Amino acid sequence: MSPGMVAACMAIDLRAKLPKKGPFSSLGTRTKHIFLFVAFVVFYVLGIGYHLTIFSTQTPPSFGVALVYNLVILACYSTLWLLLSSQFKQRQAPPIRIFWTTLLFGIGLIGVALGIAQIGRVPGFDAAAGFDYETDVPLTLATVFKMNFLSLLEAAFFFIVLLRFRDLVLFKRTRSSQRNWYLMLGFILLAALMTFMKPPRQDEISFLQAITFVPAVAFMVINSFRLSWIVHLSFKEKMAVIGLSSLLLALLATSLGVGGDSLRPGVSLYLAYYSFPLSIFMMLSVIFGILYCITALLSLIFHLPTTSDFQRKTDEITAMHSLTHLVNQVFDPENLVSTITASPVEAGSADAAWLAVADPETGSLRPRIVATHNIAPALVAELIDTAAFYQEVLLSHEPLLLDQAPADHRVEARPGDGIGSLLVTPLVTRDEMLGALFVSREVAHSFEKDDIEAISVFAAQAALALDNARLFEEKVEKERLSRELAIAREVQSKLLPQHLPSYEGVSISASSVPAQEVGGDYYDFTELDDRRLAFIIADVSGKGTSAAFYMAEMQGVFHAVSHLAPDPLDFLTHANRALARSLEKNVFISVIYGVLDLEKEELLLARAGHCPAATINLNGEARYLRSQGLGLGLDRGPLFRKTLAVERIRLQPGDVLVLYTDGVVESRSPKGEEYGYDRLLDALAEHRHEDADDLHDALLADLNGFLGGTNQYDDDLTLVVIKWRGIELISAPSRRNGEQENAPSNVHPLE
Amino acid sequence: MSNFSVGFRSTGAVQVLALQGELDAHTASELEAAIQKCQDEQQYQIVINGENLQYISSAGLGVFMAYIEEVREQGGDIKIAALQPKVFNVFDLLGFPMLFDITETEDEALTKFENAAA
Repeated sequence: MSPGMVAACMAIDLRAKLPKKGPFSSLGTRTKHIFLFVAFVVFYVLGIGYHLTIFSTQTPPSFGVALVYNLVILACYSTLWLLLSSQFKQRQAPPIRIFWTTLLFGIGLIGVALGIAQIGRVPGFDAAAGFDYETDVPLTLATVFKMNFLSLLEAAFFFIVLLRFRDLVLFKRTRSSQRNWYLMLGFILLAALMTFMKPPRQDEISFLQAITFVPAVAFMVINSFRLSWIVHLSFKEKMAVIGLSSLLLALLATSLGVGGDSLRPGVSLYLAYYSFPLSIFMMLSVIFGILYCITALLSLIFHLPTTSDFQRKTDEITAMHSLTHLVNQVFDPENLVSTITASPVEAGSADAAWLAVADPETGSLRPRIVATHNIAPALVAELIDTAAFYQEVLLSHEPLLLDQAPADHRVEARPGDGIGSLLVTPLVTRDEMLGALFVSREVAHSFEKDDIEAISVFAAQAALALDNARLFEEKVEKERLSRELAIAREVQSKLLPQHLPSYEGVSISASSVPAQEVGGDYYDFTELDDRRLAFIIADVSGKGTSAAFYMAEMQGVFHAVSHLAPDPLDFLTHANRALARSLEKNVFISVIYGVLDLEKEELLLARAGHCPAATINLNGEARYLRSQGLGLGLDRGPLFRKTLAVERIRLQPGDVLVLYTDGVVESRSPKGEEYGYDRLLDALAEHRHEDADDLHDALLADLNGFLGGTNQYDDDLTLVVIKWRGIELISAPSRRNGEQENAPSNVHPLE
Repeated sequence: MSNFSVGFRSTGAVQVLALQGELDAHTASELEAAIQKCQDEQQYQIVINGENLQYISSAGLGVFMAYIEEVREQGGDIKIAALQPKVFNVFDLLGFPMLFDITETEDEALTKFENAAA
């Protein structure tokens, strides 16, 4: 017998289990099965043919022929193994099913075998009858057919037993368990092949054969202890399997019997004559089957008492897990905390539960009990020092277990108050502890490791859910604030002039953009009477919401006071006093206030700390009007009025006055350079011939060009352009465009 | 993020705060803390040295306004010295020279304190 043969056979066996590669696997599964089946039939028929030949000639076969026959038989049953293996591969049957289907197969196959064994039975002869003593040649035709069929039936049954038991052994598949199974099969195969080409009557087992039996039996024993499927059975299921496995054990035990005395006379012996290796394989398989049934029976019986406990534990854990899912679906905080406290009690893991959360309102870490289940909050407050426990788990971020709660000084309960064991679990997410879940049981020492695990997992989920709920609330609040600010922006934009005044002789253009949703810049106009227009530009220090409030106040002051005290000195002094009360110490407002007198064609202007107004005439002579003046809010005494200067300017046709806030001159280019005062004057000079609107847009375009076209302003930005056209006033009544009765036909520039 | 720092120096009775970098809304708190420290130590004679002050915003100016009244009530003052031209311009536009002693050099400011004490 060559080692190559052994290797080849093992390879065939292993290939049945390992992932298939190569040309064989590229065929469809059905094709493979058909191919295997055909091969099996061919080999089997060849086997029958061989025996018929021997029978008819009544001479033992030559060595060569016998060799071929044995190889054919091995090939035949290898294909049978592969066929059966693929049949049972797909189905992961539950243990009960495995046992009764195997039992049924067994009873069926063995029943048929019994029937066949009775055919042509020669009374008086024992099981060895039918074969010549010397030559092992079959003596009757019945013997030939019995040998072939019985062998097939027996082989089929024991293959099935092995394959079905494989599912039980590999119930929990690990690398080592699979390896052990294949090694067992391999050694059984090896032991069987040791008898290749040996006559079946050889009673002495050679040393070599004995050696190969040892590892085979060793692995059979190892695999007999793979019984992890037992714990998962319910009590009833365990009882059923006890019964079934007992029957199967009986069936297998009796099939070992060789000789006419056993229930199934001489079946095994026929198999030995058919193919010795095959019979050894079968014998070892049966022994394994018996071993496994014995260990399973014993294990089942010993596990019966603990079944209910195990079941209860599993149920609890399952319930916890399903409640975990529920927790994640609740968003409403109130609902959520009551679900969190209810779950452990409903799952049966605790008798009472309550949840303590750090109260953000008080700012401190003092916990507040937000929900209780199965216990009144008042009772909790009376019996448990929640704050102390909270502190402890806050420091450790680990669950705290009190097996005898009343013994702890933080628990005021006496035995009988209903608090026997106490488990405190922190709800931690993103390294932050959001709260602590307290669960209690009436009896002491009743929280086991499993309980703590399950509740910890639940607590982690609960923490996530609480966190989500909080984040959700924050998001909703953020959106609300965002909407509020958007509304504020709209309201503030209404504080700015909705229409610019239009007068004959004056063209005005203006714009203001806050840096944030709301800002501190302001500009406005008001008609003092039909010949005088008051204007203002102001910049509250800082930006954002606080600046916006002062801007609104400034607007009120302007519209009220300008009519009562239109003179720049008076207006600004009044404004300074009016605002003194509400302005904080570190807040000030820079203002330019002026009055345009269209009849006198002159401009009165005062600069209270604001960026100096730029002015240019038709000739291109540009300058800044930098008169003396303190910003509003810097001095609340007489110094303000004393130091404020008023400029009186004659207006010439084509004169342009540009008012702006520091957002214009202090804007920085990507390189970090400021736009500056010079560039403003240059741009003004360039576009001074244009009308107010075009001039205004051109100035902004120049600024944007300098800033690199990003249009992103850091500061509030305001620009007002007032252009004096100097058109002679013809008629007194309405000076406004659109309402003009006599439109002037030509322009009279005045000296 | 703006860079800003306040250096402390003491010359006799006067505390000199040397400002460096950009003073705006983000960094104003640092200057506040510095002036607060002077107050805690009962140092009411303060000279702000702006030699290395690159930029000041309205928030920075607000800091001076927030503390000046208190400091003057205690008999002291905040004087400002050695401002860069651009930065001085910002103070000047608002009229600060009318409220504070703004000198060209630190020594001038220190002299003013001496004269006042005399």
